[in-house]
Amino acid sequence: MSVYHTLRSSVVIGYMLSIAWVRRNLLSLVWLFATPFSILFLITVTSGGHAFVQATIGTILFVLATVGTGLAGDATWYRLEVKLQDLFVASPVSQMGYLLGIALNGLFFATPALVILLPVLVYLGLPLIDLPLVMLAVCAVWLFSATIGYIVSTYVTNLRNGWQSGLLLSVIVAVIPPAFYPAEILPPNILPIAYLMPTTHASLILRSFIGQTPELAYWSPAFGWTMLGVSLVVALLVMLRLARWRQP
Amino acid sequence: MTAIQSSSLVKVYHKSKTPALKKVSLTVNRGQIFTLLGRNGAGKTTFLRVAATQLLPSDGKVEVLGSDVVSEAAKIRKKIAVVPQEGNTIGPLTPWDHVYLTLLARGMTRADARDRTRKVLDQLEMTSYQSKPADTLSGGLRQRIRVAMAVATDAELLFLDEPTLGLDAISRRRIWSVLKDICREGRTILLTTHYIDEAEILSDNVAVINSGTLVTSGSPKELLSKVDERVRVDVTGDRFTEDDLARYGRPVRIAERWRVLTDNKRAGELTIEAVRRNCDVSVSPVSLEDLFVDLVGGEEENATMSGDEK
Repeated sequence: MSVYHTLRSSVVIGYMLSIAWVRRNLLSLVWLFATPFSILFLITVTSGGHAFVQATIGTILFVLATVGTGLAGDATWYRLEVKLQDLFVASPVSQMGYLLGIALNGLFFATPALVILLPVLVYLGLPLIDLPLVMLAVCAVWLFSATIGYIVSTYVTNLRNGWQSGLLLSVIVAVIPPAFYPAEILPPNILPIAYLMPTTHASLILRSFIGQTPELAYWSPAFGWTMLGVSLVVALLVMLRLARWRQP
Repeated sequence: MTAIQSSSLVKVYHKSKTPALKKVSLTVNRGQIFTLLGRNGAGKTTFLRVAATQLLPSDGKVEVLGSDVVSEAAKIRKKIAVVPQEGNTIGPLTPWDHVYLTLLARGMTRADARDRTRKVLDQLEMTSYQSKPADTLSGGLRQRIRVAMAVATDAELLFLDEPTLGLDAISRRRIWSVLKDICREGRTILLTTHYIDEAEILSDNVAVINSGTLVTSGSPKELLSKVDERVRVDVTGDRFTEDDLARYGRPVRIAERWRVLTDNKRAGELTIEAVRRNCDVSVSPVSLEDLFVDLVGGEEENATMSGDEK
């Protein structure tokens, strides 16, 4: 399948599961606008406003990571209940087209957070010219998380475990790594473990874009970008190798 | 021309000791409606899913439209479409959304997708529901949406896994009519069902599968010729014992009635005797159901799987 067809399929599948869904079910908009900001609100209030910058970065990454890892549940539902995966396996749609499609669906549900919080980052000091690079970094986290969520979903045999896996993955990808808190507070021997998570690098990259370049052992923006790229490529390769498109 | 050719197909599911398919060899010719008939868990869906490239075979060889299902799956997938068993529709999306967007995702142009969506919704008598959210529609209408999603494609080969499950008699006939039209266009359909009347009415060829083994195959007419008796007599009530009925033919107990498979002459004699004993009686030609019971069924299973019971 050509790249064009893969992208076309993914856009249609993404539209089908997000925009078409919301158009027919306006209640989804409430969830779309209400939930992403709850942690930002909590951290800002409990820190008396001091942690607002880090909390904003954390919220952006958390939302993107969560809509990705949430695929562990969503994609399980599509596969077991809707039989959408079966439908598309026996069709010209490729596995990559399907993954990107269901991932785009998640990205759509993250757009309110991005639309509101990216301008906040600009207000906090992010140069407008760097906005595309910031989007690139957060999208890398989104696609990484979606890929991991999808891989897990192909092994899950019941829906409840799918949702539970999604929650666990979101903790691993978005809560434990230093996204909501500064990486500097981590002990030096834990830092290399945090470097394994793309969320860590995306958070540090975003901080450096708004003039708060972290001073950490072995870390630089170039290292951060490299790790982001490598983790995404590795996740996609693992997906192509291990995710069960056709069941064994 | 062959649409599907399987040779000694074996499928053993992960962590299962019992094969779901045991050396199944069968041929589906192009332009046919080919039905896999069997009890629940017989292996029909497994065969369909292997041929539809959704499931890897454990052993043996399957070719679909001239390509191998393991090494040339991508070639096959461009030419097939499937209605998976017991799937669901997508929440609030309308029937139009389901069909139109599926066609676009498969790579069809917008104009073609619009035309085909309109046509299939009309064929399945769903035009008046086309803008209603699927989750507000009845189960039967939702099943019709799922059938429409496959039927609307330009696939050469359609895999339909129990497409009329849970539908009322009129909806089933509507779908049968659409499937016949598809066949007339030269496309091929592999269908699974445990509705025997569906297999008999719809199919050019039928294969009976039981416990993962191909029991028999052929056209409904050929299969019927394998039954020794020509006529069946259904007698309701308990005024006959099995021994009484055995004098007229081969009796089978089905819930509250006896079914006796026999020849024309003895059918006449039994009918007279049943009327004399004040029993309800009906006479009809033997059907695929009788063969099916002979080949795979126990009495209780027969009662639940008969087309009459739906």
